[in-house]
Amino acid sequence: MSFIADKQTLEDLNLLGKFKQHSIFSLFNKVNTSGAEKLLIGMFQNPLTDAVAINNRSAIFRYFHSKELSFPFNNEQFSMVDNYLSNGSGKYYPVVLMGLGKKKLLGTIVKDEEYQKSQNGLLQTIALLNKCKEFISQFSDDKDNPFYDKVLTVKNILHDPRLQWLASEQSGKLSLTKMARYDHLLRYTMEAELANLIGTFYQLDLYISVANFARTKMFDYATALPAKENLLTATDVRHPGIEKAVGNPVSFHQNSNMIFLTGANMAGKSTFMKSFGINVYLAHMGFPVAAKEMKFSVKEGIYTSINVPDDLNMGYSHFYAEVLRVKKVAEEVSSGKSLVVIFDELFKGTNVKDAYDATLAVTAAYSEYRNCMFIISTHIIEAGEVLKHQDNLQMLYLPTIMNGNVPTYPYKLEAGISSDRHGMMIIENEGILELLES
Amino acid sequence: MLFTTDKQTQEDLNIYGKQGKDSILSLFNRTSTLNGGRILEEMFNYPLSDAEAINKRVGIIKYLKAAATAFPFNSVLFDQAEQYLANTDERSKLSAEKPSLEKRLTSLVATDADYKVIDSGVMALIEIAKHLDSLLKNTLFAAGSPFKSDTESVSISGLLTEEPVNLLLRETPKHKFSREKLATFDTLLRFRHRDTIQRILRYVYQLDVYITIAKVATERGFVFPVAVAREEHIVKIESFYHPQLKNAIANSLEITPDKNIIFLTGANMAGKSTFMKSLGIAMYLAHMGFPVAAKKMEFSVRDGIYTTINLPDNLGIGASHFYAEVLRIKKVARELSTGKNIFVIFDELFRGTNVKDAYEATIAITSAFAKKCNSMFIISTHIIEAGDVLRERCPNIEFKFLPTRMDGTIPVYTYTLETGITDDRHGMIIINNEGILELLKKGKEAIAI
Repeated sequence: MSFIADKQTLEDLNLLGKFKQHSIFSLFNKVNTSGAEKLLIGMFQNPLTDAVAINNRSAIFRYFHSKELSFPFNNEQFSMVDNYLSNGSGKYYPVVLMGLGKKKLLGTIVKDEEYQKSQNGLLQTIALLNKCKEFISQFSDDKDNPFYDKVLTVKNILHDPRLQWLASEQSGKLSLTKMARYDHLLRYTMEAELANLIGTFYQLDLYISVANFARTKMFDYATALPAKENLLTATDVRHPGIEKAVGNPVSFHQNSNMIFLTGANMAGKSTFMKSFGINVYLAHMGFPVAAKEMKFSVKEGIYTSINVPDDLNMGYSHFYAEVLRVKKVAEEVSSGKSLVVIFDELFKGTNVKDAYDATLAVTAAYSEYRNCMFIISTHIIEAGEVLKHQDNLQMLYLPTIMNGNVPTYPYKLEAGISSDRHGMMIIENEGILELLES
Repeated sequence: MLFTTDKQTQEDLNIYGKQGKDSILSLFNRTSTLNGGRILEEMFNYPLSDAEAINKRVGIIKYLKAAATAFPFNSVLFDQAEQYLANTDERSKLSAEKPSLEKRLTSLVATDADYKVIDSGVMALIEIAKHLDSLLKNTLFAAGSPFKSDTESVSISGLLTEEPVNLLLRETPKHKFSREKLATFDTLLRFRHRDTIQRILRYVYQLDVYITIAKVATERGFVFPVAVAREEHIVKIESFYHPQLKNAIANSLEITPDKNIIFLTGANMAGKSTFMKSLGIAMYLAHMGFPVAAKKMEFSVRDGIYTTINLPDNLGIGASHFYAEVLRIKKVARELSTGKNIFVIFDELFRGTNVKDAYEATIAITSAFAKKCNSMFIISTHIIEAGDVLRERCPNIEFKFLPTRMDGTIPVYTYTLETGITDDRHGMIIINNEGILELLKKGKEAIAI
């Protein structure tokens, strides 16, 4: 079963999209080869739901994180060789020989370029394989390496007796018969082995590049726990895409499964919620997270509602769009799935009385699902006064500190309900009322 | 003084719309000529702020509508004429001399393109002049026509009797001209009297626009607004509706100096935004002297119109929605403080902040606006509690709401304006209709078992 994150969630958290500005994918997309990029896309599209698989993957990242290697190949080398190998050769050696002979003949008579092309491809492949051999040799028999099996397989392929000639054939000149023999060997006899080798190198590229990126950003790795406990703790949770982001601790468990978040505008409510959501998602991919000491029970999915769009074409108002979103999540939650749910500014599109009633009713009903985790933010701070008697709710707020007339935001969570109301202050700062009096 | 408005307003009201989508401009943009379309767009760019000018334009379009005037020119003529006039190079002037034998031989094999352009251009101008002459005589200068007092129309009709146009009128367009004759006309039209010819063409384009608007008004049953004295500070508009909606529901409204703020409430989906847009569009079109989607409209000319209906958050520069609203209000306040009389629409004031703040801010801003009796404000809000305080404080606020009727558990919207403050709170009903709470409860029980 795959991890659930619907379109709205992916957009709220800006997770996917190679060409989208500041998407989390493009943040991590520091790989060299396009093969690795494909793997990265696959990982982003399919987070894991199995604690063992998650921990295995994060162990590999951890290993490369500590190794500080660099991936010495570029995309051009690999795509050329990949292209050459995947074209395939003939099944029988004589046929290959004859085919190449014909190309060579055509090359001399009518300047056909096919032979030259085949020769180039072969030479490039030989060069790359030699380089690979050199690169892989630096992995000594390191039994701690969680990637060791793969490395060993590649090593064995490269040290295959059939490939012994590799080291001696770097001069760049090959006779027709040699070419035919190598061509047949690489593209037919050992086709599967070499495909495996290239695939492993793409993985190496991905692991090394992402781990290096994580090191520069001081990211850490999360530990996945079995789903049962509904536990999530982390310190210094921050937004991976923001430089000098302020970190906050988060702690959820069965008996404290909901955060009721308040705070002024611009105090950082949405950013905090997004940071949490993104890190939960990354953790389920086994990726480095922008948090410290993160431990989490594996969840089945995540739903957010941060920028619910009005669907005016279908005649929905903002309020109705929100109601539909809440309903969709309710359906999922009530089916017994264990989810992470984030609602930003619930029911902002309606009048105060309704928003108050609705926030109370919906929040209370959701909080009973102890197998899920919720963060709900709202402007209706009055609702918090009623809800704070429920012991599984954590009341948190992001404060505003007034520095003279200017509001400043420390972006640090504090316990309690916000009592900051600086809206009028902002209006006064802008001097609007005086303008109108004049 | 110019009529001021801004991009936000034009976007709110969908004046220009997005490329390829319907807009208020595209409603009228059906001119026969390309240049007519350009003039129309210019009129949209610069609404008028002078009652006399507005009423004059209204008079002209109204007359054309009553006379059911059709645009008598074939639009191809203008392409030919413009292409011909576009070439101002003296060297291309047709010479009256007989062409050399060589040239004549060449023109036998392939027709001379330049000659052809000149020929068709002159022919087109003859045809245009003739049609314009008969249009002026038969329709525009008929008894009781407002064109008689229009200075430009009068001087254009004067031009038709002078050289070179009077010469054009004597010719028949289909008749083939001799080379000498064509050369004479070419010199006259394209060089000596070039400005006169272009002025006449511009006049025809302008006529095209007016005739098109009159046609749209007839087809859609739009009515012509009446601009009254600026000092009255009133807007009286009967049965206005949104021109882009099918089966739109009409509403009436009256704004006077002692009721110059409309405080609008109502549930979501009750039609607040549509109501405000309809009114904004009517005011915008009225200031252009265009027909409006209403039964009757009288208005004092304003100095500008500002609306805030779909305000985008500018998260890129770190401003929240609330701050964006505050800046918008500041802009309006600055306009007001210069003594301008403007027309202001605010939809869902302060929706981006907490209730307490929104409540205080709505009261503070609305009562400050209320002191500006010479401007007009339409303000909608969800904070209905603010209405009760404002009612006490400011006598010049008119309270209106768009009601919701409950048909069993399903809300129905009448879209018809009523007086008072709404007490409709159907948010919970919608939530209950969707069965969210039961869903959560049932799921809980199922899991418990």
